[in-house]
Amino acid sequence: MTLFKLQRYSAIALLVFMTIHMIVVHYPPFHIDFSRIIVRMGQPIWKAIDIAFLLSVLIHGLAGAYAVMTDVQKFSQARRTLATAFAVLGVVAFIYGSITILAFDPAKAGVKTQMDAPAVAAQMP
Amino acid sequence: MYKNTGFISFVLRRFTGVFLVIYLAMHMFVIGSVNLGPAAFDARLALVQTNVFKILEIGLLAAVVYHAFDGVRLLMVHYFHLTNQRQSLFYAAFAIAALLTVAGGIPIILFAINGG
Repeated sequence: MTLFKLQRYSAIALLVFMTIHMIVVHYPPFHIDFSRIIVRMGQPIWKAIDIAFLLSVLIHGLAGAYAVMTDVQKFSQARRTLATAFAVLGVVAFIYGSITILAFDPAKAGVKTQMDAPAVAAQMP
Repeated sequence: MYKNTGFISFVLRRFTGVFLVIYLAMHMFVIGSVNLGPAAFDARLALVQTNVFKILEIGLLAAVVYHAFDGVRLLMVHYFHLTNQRQSLFYAAFAIAALLTVAGGIPIILFAINGG
């Protein structure tokens, strides 16, 4: 798959994921802390959505940054090295980001099971 | 050349794109603190929830919505063969991004004024 197609497909995925993210996480604005977001992040479906979001944003962002950098003559001469470096960076960032998403453990917020999450949410201001 | 909408959109798309990649790295640093435990996460998140950051968030929102709608414009031009409407679509994307920035920025400002 060409870089161009990778950019296009990840952009379409991002339109969906970013819309969901903005509505669910940021509107209306509220003070964000662990105990509040764990209600959502404690659910496996949200972990899956966020990992897919992470993958899309890394592909789109790194492919975009690669395209911008290779427009500079100095970097365009080292395309292969740059592409390898960005691929490694992308894999590392994806692993780190996925570990981070999976680290949202309801047990750490006193939520024993997924079924308890609504009860915890109801107690919140 | 510099007043050409194609050139302006190219520069804005790249500028906002680079800005968003830098933001992504910072965002991963902040959210990554959850690996150190909920207390570390709350402490680091509190640093970026001050009023100064809320105002900066409006700039972030502007970059996101402009980049997104400019992207939609490119998809429309490419897949629906709207080459002749490129200029009008650029203005439309810019106007929608401006409207959404205002619509999204007002709740952020009100939240900051009310003390969050």
